[in-house]
Amino acid sequence: MADQFKPEIAVFHCINTFADSAVLPIAENEHFSVKSYKLPCSSMVKDVYLLRAFEAGADAVLVFVCPEGQCRYVEGNIRAAKRVQFVKRLLDEIGIDARRLALFNIAAGDAAAVVEIIHQNLPELVKLGPNPAA
Amino acid sequence: MIVGEQKSIAEIREMIAPYKKLLILGCGTCVKTCFAGGEDEVATLASALRLSLKKDGKEIAVEEFTVERQCEDAFIQEAAPHISPNSAVLSLACGAGVQAIARRFVKVPVLPGVNTTFIGVLEKQGLFTEECSGCGDCKLAPFGGICPVTRCSKKLLNGPCGGSRNGKCEVSPDIDCAWQLIIERLKILGQLDHLRDYMPPKNWKTSHAGGPRKLVREDHII
Amino acid sequence: MNTETPSHLQKVLEAGYFAVTAECGPPRGGDPDAIRKKAALLKGSVDAVNVTDNQTAIVRMSSIAACHHLMQLGLEPVMQMVTRDRNRIALQSDILGAYSLGIKTILCLSGDHQHFGSQPDAMNVFDIDSINLVRTVWNMRETGQDMSGFNLKTPPRMFIGAAANPFADPFEYRVIRLAKKIDAGADFIQTQCVYNLDRFAQWMAGARNEGLTDKVHILAGITPLKSEGMAKYMAERVAGMDIPDSVIKRMAGVPKKNAAREGIAICLETIAALREITGVRGIHIMAIEWEETVAEIVAAAGLLPRPAADQAEGVL
Repeated sequence: MADQFKPEIAVFHCINTFADSAVLPIAENEHFSVKSYKLPCSSMVKDVYLLRAFEAGADAVLVFVCPEGQCRYVEGNIRAAKRVQFVKRLLDEIGIDARRLALFNIAAGDAAAVVEIIHQNLPELVKLGPNPAA
Repeated sequence: MIVGEQKSIAEIREMIAPYKKLLILGCGTCVKTCFAGGEDEVATLASALRLSLKKDGKEIAVEEFTVERQCEDAFIQEAAPHISPNSAVLSLACGAGVQAIARRFVKVPVLPGVNTTFIGVLEKQGLFTEECSGCGDCKLAPFGGICPVTRCSKKLLNGPCGGSRNGKCEVSPDIDCAWQLIIERLKILGQLDHLRDYMPPKNWKTSHAGGPRKLVREDHII
Repeated sequence: MNTETPSHLQKVLEAGYFAVTAECGPPRGGDPDAIRKKAALLKGSVDAVNVTDNQTAIVRMSSIAACHHLMQLGLEPVMQMVTRDRNRIALQSDILGAYSLGIKTILCLSGDHQHFGSQPDAMNVFDIDSINLVRTVWNMRETGQDMSGFNLKTPPRMFIGAAANPFADPFEYRVIRLAKKIDAGADFIQTQCVYNLDRFAQWMAGARNEGLTDKVHILAGITPLKSEGMAKYMAERVAGMDIPDSVIKRMAGVPKKNAAREGIAICLETIAALREITGVRGIHIMAIEWEETVAEIVAAAGLLPRPAADQAEGVL
């Protein structure tokens, strides 16, 4: 498994989903690496941040927000979802597979869910291969 | 405000193909408010273009800068030091702004990154609608403040036509029949009988049909 | 009542006959034979034939040329003119040209938006609207002047028509709109095709109340239905069309091979009902690409023979 492609995943999250990457239960021998970016509100995932994460070499960008109806700032997670949709369309236009970008709702503070979701999506991300624009 | 929409990545790629050093120049007024060409949009586009070109194995240096308004010389001047090191400018301003840049910086190709569409309003967050065609002879009063020249697809002054369906224009169910709106407004104003008045043919001399227009204010020229 | 023009349709209407007009769409090409064929089907059954003007914004032989071909075959044309494609200069010019060719009856329309047609990329004109056009032709006749105030040598004297849609939105405004067209100078009106007799009768009552039926000749539109599919299509897709469920049910209730018969039966019942409505002075049969039914319908409705030119003459 040593030479299997190890996706670099950029994680965007608001501090209400989980505090920071330190609390993510990521084991030593995982087949992925995570760079995380915390935001005061998930709606702060500006289009350009998501794109710059790809420019910086991320193979996938995952955005974690609170469940619908439970956003501390009411609409933050809805706006984040809209931005992710917009950037997905842009990725299609650019010719980078839009599946590399995704948004997930997790219960506030459920850091374990983050790693679980990454594990669930890992086979697909591996199949997508390295970022073609890295 | 003036409303426009950013061009597709594909169309922009075609325009910028010959250039290795590109300045994306944004405008902080109209196109910022309709999310086509403000500072944020410049940043997003720059990133998207870098990714797009890198993916195809091509290199491009993209600089980003935004001025308050591209339709005024005093603001355009601020872009000068950013323009000179680049081989082309992709302006995200409205058509007027693009031309103002081209007029001031004659030696550099100035490319339009936005399709300018209309003069309109923000009806609600995220929804912009066309309201004025700049006919130069505003006659909103007899129509309850709703412009039949702009909002009626056929510019009828003695409307409506017979094509509306459920209050929507025959061209598209997304377009309100302006005459339906006018009738309803005049009803509220108690002026529905005005609609029996014959509206004579419009004088189009003051519109763009009479040639490109100019406004000179001598009282402001010293 | 109205100023006398050389129009045969005017003579027929003012002599008190229940008028019959039909419609002919020019071909999408340069051969007048298509018009000749349609003319042959209509001759003897109608008082005049409307010739459409790039209907639905599909490029066809011009109305003025097609009218000219019809006249050579002994039919009286009603030249339809839309304001979508030509500015006031071209419209006035074509009115003069039409009159010089012997065209004496005109129907003034705004026209379907080009979005529907064969050239949706085209710029539209709409320099003036249909009511401005009615007034323009009226002015030419009554004052001898064109839109610039110039005194025309041999001003055209045409019988002027406008369209009315009793079924379009908003309903309460439709009678005011009719009044407006009459004020502008309309001599006759042709309506959108009638299937909903109740609604049409309501509109006619409104027109009578305003004294409008004394000022204008109203010809009710008639379109025979060929099939259930056609009925449904028109009900759902054609703007300003009102086809009651009862009519669609009737078309659906007969075997396909009898559908056309049923459509014509509905047509004849409608005509009979229309003749009973005070103020309806005739019918305008729009049997698009089914012109062969016009003669049958007119005959079965007891509307033959049509008055000859001299029969209507001299009554004014």
